[in-house]
Amino acid sequence: MSNKRDSSEKELGRRKKLHQLRQIVQIFTLILFLYLLVGTRKEIITVLPHDLFFRLDPLLGITSILANRVFIVSMMLGVFTIGLTIIAGRAWCGWLCPLGTILDWTPTFRIKSSQMRIQSHWIMAKYILLFIIVFTAIFGSLFLIIFDPITILSRTVTSVIIPGFSFLITLVEISLYRIESFQPSIEQFDYLIRSRLLTEQPFFLPNLIIAFFFGLVLTLNIIRTRFWCRYLCPLGALLGIISKTAHLKHRLNQETCISCNQCETICPTAAIDAKNNFFANTSECISCLDCVEICPTKSITFQHRNKINLKSNYNSNRRQLVQSIGVAFFGGVILFVMPIFQVKNYFFIRPPGTDEQALSNKCIRCGECARVCPTGVIQPSYSPKYLEVLWTPILMTRLGYCDYSCTLCGEVCPTGAITKLSLERKQKTIIGIAHINEKRCIPWAQGKECVVCEEMCPIPEKAIKLEKDIVMHSSSEISDVLLPRVIPELCIGCGICEYKCPVEGESAIRIYRAETLKHRAIIGTYRKEHRHLTK
Amino acid sequence: MSKVNRRKFITATLGSAFAAAAIYGYYQYTQPTDIKRYSSPSITQKESKSQPTDNSDSLPTPSTQSPAHPPKDAAYLAVAHGENPTEIVETALTALGGIERFVKPGDDVIIKPNICVSYRSFEYAATTNPEVVGALTSLSLNAGAKRVRVMDNSFGGSPEKAYTNSGIEEAVNAAGGEMELMSRIKYRAVDIPQGKDINRWSIYGDILDADVLINVPIAKHHSLARLTLGMKNLLGIVQKPNRFHSNLAQRTADLNSRVHSTLTVVDAVRILKDHGPTGGNLNDVEIANTVIASHDIVAADSYAATLFGLTGNDIPTIRSGAQMGLGNMDLSSITVEKIDV
Repeated sequence: MSNKRDSSEKELGRRKKLHQLRQIVQIFTLILFLYLLVGTRKEIITVLPHDLFFRLDPLLGITSILANRVFIVSMMLGVFTIGLTIIAGRAWCGWLCPLGTILDWTPTFRIKSSQMRIQSHWIMAKYILLFIIVFTAIFGSLFLIIFDPITILSRTVTSVIIPGFSFLITLVEISLYRIESFQPSIEQFDYLIRSRLLTEQPFFLPNLIIAFFFGLVLTLNIIRTRFWCRYLCPLGALLGIISKTAHLKHRLNQETCISCNQCETICPTAAIDAKNNFFANTSECISCLDCVEICPTKSITFQHRNKINLKSNYNSNRRQLVQSIGVAFFGGVILFVMPIFQVKNYFFIRPPGTDEQALSNKCIRCGECARVCPTGVIQPSYSPKYLEVLWTPILMTRLGYCDYSCTLCGEVCPTGAITKLSLERKQKTIIGIAHINEKRCIPWAQGKECVVCEEMCPIPEKAIKLEKDIVMHSSSEISDVLLPRVIPELCIGCGICEYKCPVEGESAIRIYRAETLKHRAIIGTYRKEHRHLTK
Repeated sequence: MSKVNRRKFITATLGSAFAAAAIYGYYQYTQPTDIKRYSSPSITQKESKSQPTDNSDSLPTPSTQSPAHPPKDAAYLAVAHGENPTEIVETALTALGGIERFVKPGDDVIIKPNICVSYRSFEYAATTNPEVVGALTSLSLNAGAKRVRVMDNSFGGSPEKAYTNSGIEEAVNAAGGEMELMSRIKYRAVDIPQGKDINRWSIYGDILDADVLINVPIAKHHSLARLTLGMKNLLGIVQKPNRFHSNLAQRTADLNSRVHSTLTVVDAVRILKDHGPTGGNLNDVEIANTVIASHDIVAADSYAATLFGLTGNDIPTIRSGAQMGLGNMDLSSITVEKIDV
């Protein structure tokens, strides 16, 4: 009796090791993911490609290649994940996916099925989502890629978690710094984390929508374990289709199975169905091996089919798959009929080296550019009017400015949506154009001295010129002050003037989008009026 | 997965909310509430003059009287001219009576060069010459300084990059000094008792606390101040320096009345004559091969103005400084020692 208990405990220990191994792999991958993401700050990590996880994601690779109709070599690492899936099923989801890891740690209340019943055909929702994404990609738009799990996590980390965290840390540091005895240790701590980890960028409120989206994914986990992976994840759907051919997959020895129901209870994605004699649906199985561990009779194995000849249920759902393609096709067509694709008069200011076409085709909304930007000027776009380009990078020139000596955003972009520019070319690339609001500008409106915009302008010849002139300002007095004027042919729209403008609230000098033709027209008229200045 | 029950959930939520409220409340308590009122160039107020406050941060009045005369053999103002920046710095300081006059053994020294942007190397004369900074670092260390830190708050580009691109980081590290990134947490709102226009501003705490502040500006053009020299170089140690510009000369002088530069060494090895302060055009750069050193910041600035064909009286900042009694801008009344190396 005691002997038997010993052996069963030993058995349990061995099996727990499997679970521990998976957890170690998951933690390692998550840390690696966060390191690559968070460490890409002001400079690029060189040990590993900083965009490793985006490259490994086959959904990003396939859709960006489809939408762009260009073969993007760097995205071919996704082949590795496809290969892994062909060998071991959705092991990516169970072992590597960083979002999956976080969902594994999110508490679940396991609402009883009598209280809330989710029909099993809802698992097709993710296939419909996948096909809509693929269809819209074929038509040249990547906007639904916001549902990709890797970009959900990276976007949330770069635009919500790190700014929020920096704000909180700075708050605590400033508070504690008043206490003298804490000062040396806080200085040390601040020195260690500020330049590499924290960001100076303020918390940009529209990013809360991103936080809300991520929060929703986590909250749904309360209803069912891995709710996202079961019903919504388009990457899971893609890997699910591929895993139909997996070599190592869930196999059940029906002769030894005692129908104890333990594997069905533990399965995080409800791949095992009691009604189906405890066979697993391979495209739902994430190869977590928890069922292998729990099975009291060791009836479940993950082995190659040639080695052990056991029955495997090939529950193909082919009809449902075809149906979902049909639904997705109509969904895609409806999306394109909707007015969001017809809005073309954008007002966004874009990073240097990109345009609307490139962003619509190539940008995967990962937030890498926002993370690496040393001044925090790059933020995800948010206007509900332009859903098609939701969360693509825009420059919020009141929150930061484009550093004249920096080309990092183009260097980190995983898909080349922002072109890699040489420093010389970047310094001549027109981002936008500055325009002075003379009703707010201190010298123009108040007759007081202020040359901050001219002082800050990084252009060697200064794109803002000062003229000593007489103004009649708000208090009906006449002053003789230096008045700033923008020279459109020199201005590249870096935005440092808008960022540094000392006027409270809205800046007195603002960057506007410079359409090339309009820009030229402005230059033309300007040349006539101000010939004496530009000599 | 550990089970979360209702009580645990409520306790955790209330606990974290209370902690957040406590931190925020304390933060609000420690923040100077009146800084904004005095610092913002308000549209309605013509002069943002303030009443003195009884804040605990207010320190004993610093000396704003005309700087004391130097010891007998030492020059009031030394000007060294020569090809090698390190040599002329050493010569100028010897004429002033040696660095020992300013740096005592065990002192905590801060050197404040002008590293305003990250996109120019020192050839463009937008940032202080690295050799001048390096020479001052090693001189201070040789005089027995406890540590020498070099810092500036670059307004264009990240400071790390500015430190590297200007060449100053390399020179300072080679001399044995430290480059410090100016951290947001170290700014402190302090009273400026002698201030005529501003009476309170956030200034970098370490500079207020340092034993010795060596101010090493580069002489260059500035469209509003005409020239940016030693006095204006201190704008790099305050928060929101762009709020100074509505009354730049007086506010700069007010700041200098609070923060006393122990030694001012104006780097005029390469001077920027137009399109300052950022520069970027080698045609605007003139090689003057000069350094100007003095304990009197107004006198040093006033002499530096002559390199541009101006006098101290032409520069509003210098005029305001002299009016406030921060120093002597009349070069005829002081002894100027000129040395050719």
